[in-house]
Amino acid sequence: MSEIRIKNLNKYYGQLQVVNNFNITVKDGEFLALLGPSGCGKTTSLRMIAGLEEPSSGLIQIDNDTVYDSSENINTPPEKRSVGMVFQSYAVWPHMNVYDNVAYPLKIRNLNKDEIETAVSKVLHTVELEGLEKRMPNQLSGGQQQRVALARGLVMEPKVLCLDEPLSNLDAKLRAKMRKDIREIQQKFGITVVYVTHDQIEAFEMSDRMVIMNQGLVEQVGSPEEVRESPKTEFVAEFIDG
Amino acid sequence: MTQKISQYFQQENILKSLLMILIGAFCIYPLLTLLFKVSWIDGGLSGQYFEKVFKSSSTQSAFFNTIIVSFGTALLSCIFALPISWLLKRTDLPYVKFSKTICCLPYAVPPYIGAIAWISLANPTNGFLNELLFGTGFFNIYSHLGLIFVMSCFFYTLVLLNLLNAFDRLDPSLEEAARISGAAPRKVFMQITLPLILPSLTSGFLLVFLASMASFGVPALIGTPGDIFLITTKIYTLQKMGSFSGIYQAGALSVSLLLFSIMIVYGNLWIQQNLSYKTISGKSPRPSLVPLKKLKWPIFIGLYLCLFILFGLPILSILVTALSEVPGKVDINLMGFANFKKVFFEMSETSRALTNSSILAVSAAFIGCILGFMIAFISTKTQMKGRKFLTTAANLPFTTPGTVVALAFILAFSQSFFGLPFSLYNTSILLIIVYVVKYLSLAINVNADGLEQIDNSLAEAARVSGANWFTTLRTIWFPLLRNSIFASWFLILMPCFSELTMTILLAGPGTETVGTLLFQLQEYSDASGGGSAVLSLVVVGFVISLNFLIKKMSNGAYGL
Repeated sequence: MSEIRIKNLNKYYGQLQVVNNFNITVKDGEFLALLGPSGCGKTTSLRMIAGLEEPSSGLIQIDNDTVYDSSENINTPPEKRSVGMVFQSYAVWPHMNVYDNVAYPLKIRNLNKDEIETAVSKVLHTVELEGLEKRMPNQLSGGQQQRVALARGLVMEPKVLCLDEPLSNLDAKLRAKMRKDIREIQQKFGITVVYVTHDQIEAFEMSDRMVIMNQGLVEQVGSPEEVRESPKTEFVAEFIDG
Repeated sequence: MTQKISQYFQQENILKSLLMILIGAFCIYPLLTLLFKVSWIDGGLSGQYFEKVFKSSSTQSAFFNTIIVSFGTALLSCIFALPISWLLKRTDLPYVKFSKTICCLPYAVPPYIGAIAWISLANPTNGFLNELLFGTGFFNIYSHLGLIFVMSCFFYTLVLLNLLNAFDRLDPSLEEAARISGAAPRKVFMQITLPLILPSLTSGFLLVFLASMASFGVPALIGTPGDIFLITTKIYTLQKMGSFSGIYQAGALSVSLLLFSIMIVYGNLWIQQNLSYKTISGKSPRPSLVPLKKLKWPIFIGLYLCLFILFGLPILSILVTALSEVPGKVDINLMGFANFKKVFFEMSETSRALTNSSILAVSAAFIGCILGFMIAFISTKTQMKGRKFLTTAANLPFTTPGTVVALAFILAFSQSFFGLPFSLYNTSILLIIVYVVKYLSLAINVNADGLEQIDNSLAEAARVSGANWFTTLRTIWFPLLRNSIFASWFLILMPCFSELTMTILLAGPGTETVGTLLFQLQEYSDASGGGSAVLSLVVVGFVISLNFLIKKMSNGAYGL
C-alpha cells in the first residue's frame, strides 16, 4: 500500500506562507495532479513530499511510514524515503552515460551486477530507450533525456513517483506523446504518482484526481470530471476556462 | 561612388583603426620586440642568450623553484578553496553572505602585504610566532613552504571565486536527483558534485599556477633573503645588473616564462571548451541545503579560526609592528604613533609616493575604462573586421607575467635600444601606459558583460531617429553602460594604486610609488619594519574601502 497521507502541511519562507494547511490522502496507485499557476505552492508541496524541502509544520506519511512529523521532530532525508523524482530540467548527470544514469539508484543500494543489468534493461525497454545505453546525455534529444530521467525514477521501484513539470521543456507534438506514455507506464507499474503542472491539458488528460492550488491554498480537490462540471470557486472556474 | 567613399571614412572605422594602432603599438609591439631582440642577433636567428642563461645552474634552480612553488601554491589553494566553496554554497552555514565577503577579501589585497606581515610573524630571528615559542626559530618564512603558504593565503581566492561561480551554474536538481536516488550527502558530493565542478577546479588550479609563476613581490621579499630565486626574481636581478648581457639574458628568461604562461592559458581554454558540461537549466529552485546540524557552530568557528590564521593574524601583526615604538617588542607601554609620524611627516618620499600612485592610478583607470568600453563595444555590438584581433591582443598582456611586460617595455621604449628622438623610458607616461596595457582586459570584460545585456534595438531606434553612429554611442550606449564603465574604472584603479611588479622595473629615479617605496623600506632602509607596516596599513585600508565602495555603488554586482 503506497499511500501518501498529508496532514496540516505548512511552509513559510520568512513571513511569506507558500503552502497553507495542505491536506490530502493520495491512494495507492493513484495519479494525482497538482495544478495551479506559478508560485501557487505546488512545486514546494511536491519537494516536501520528496524531502528536498523541510516543511514548517505538519505531517507526511508514505506507505504508513511517517517521513515528516513536526510534533515528533521526524524528518527523513530524501535518500531514505524511496521516492522517485523527475525534475523539470531532467537533471540527467552529464558525466555519466545513459546506463550509468539509470543504474545509479541501484548501485547506491549495492545490488549485484546481474540484478542491476536486468532491472536497467527492463526499464529502458519500458521507456523505449533500448540501444542507447552507451550514449552520453549531450548526444540525446530533450525527449530522450526526459525518458532517461523517467527510467531513473522508476528503476528502483519506488513507492511514489514525483514529477515536477516534466514536459514543459518539450515541444507540443512530443508533449502529447509523452502524456500518453507516462500515463501508460504509470498504470503498468501501478505506481502512485504526484504530478506537478501548470498545464491543465496535462492534468485533465492524465490524472485520476487533481488538486487545484492558488497562493498556497487548496481551491479544489476532485476528479477531472468533477472539476470540469462543478468548479468549486471562482478561481477554479476561471483557471480551467482560461 | 560618393556612397563608397563616405563608407570608407565612417566614424566607426576611424575609431577602430585608432584603437588597432594603439593596441598594436602597446600590447603587441613590445612583446614582439622582446622576442626579436633576444633571438635575432647579428642578422640571424640565434639561441645564444637562451643557451647562456639556461646553462647557468642558478637559472636552472630558478626554474625548478618556480615549478615547485607554483605547483605547491596551486595545490594548497585548491585545498583551501574547495571545502569553503561547498560550505558557502551547499550547506546551511550561518551568516553565509558575510562569510563569503570575508573569504574573498584577500583577492583585493596585494600579496606582498602578506609577505611583509608574515616576515614579522615568522622570520627565524625575531618573528612574533617564534618569540612565542621562546625564540626557537621553529617557523622559518624564508623557505619554499613559507613562499607557498603566503601565496596560497591570497591566491586561493582565485580558485574560490571560480568554484562559487561553478556552484551557481550547477543545476541543484542534479544533486537532488542523486539524493532522491538514495545517495547520502557525502556520496552526492563525491559522485555528482565533485566530477561536475572538476573543470572549474582544474581551471582554478591553473590560474593559481599562472599567478604564482608571475608573482614578484612575495618571492622578492620572502624568497630572495632565503636564497630562493624564482624566474621573476631572477629576471629582476639580471636586469638590475644593468649590463647589456644581463638585460638580454633577462629577456631570454622572459620569453621562456611567456611561452610557459601561454601554454597554460591555452591549456585552460581547452579544458573549458572540451571538458566542461553544459546542462539544460530549468527553473532552479533554491538548492536544498545540506543541514550541518550539531556541527553547524563548530564548523562556523573552525572556519573563522582558519580565516583568522590566514589573514587576521597577519593584519594584526602589521598593526602591532606599526604601533611598536621599540622594534620587535610587543608591549602596550611601548606603543604609540611614532612610526605614523615618521612616515607621514618626516619622510618626504611618502607624500611623493602617495601623490604619484594616485595620479598614475587615476589616469590609467580613466584611459583604461574608456578604451575598454570602446573595445568591448566593437567586439560585442559590431561585425567589424579585426574585432577579434582587438580583444585577443588586449587580453594578451593581462595573462602575461608583469615582469615580462615590463621587460618588453624596457626593450621596446628605451632610447638606447630604439633610437627615437624622444624616449618614454623613465617617464611617468610609460608607467601609465603599462598600467593601462596590463589591466585593460578587466575593463573590456566588465563592459562586454554589460553590453551583452542591452538589446540592440535601443540603439537601432536611435539610428532610425536620425542619430549617427558616434551620437548613438554617446547618447545611448554610454549612459546605459554607466555602471559598467564606472566599475571598470575602480577595477583598474585598485591594482594600479599598489602595483609593484612592473613599477619596480620601469619607474625612473624620483618616481616613487606606494609599491616601490614599500619594497625599498622593507628591503633596505627600515629593518624594524615600522615604516613599511604603516604603509601596508594604508594600502590595505585603501583597497578594502574601495572594494566596499564599488559594492555599494553597483548594488553588489561588482566588488567582493
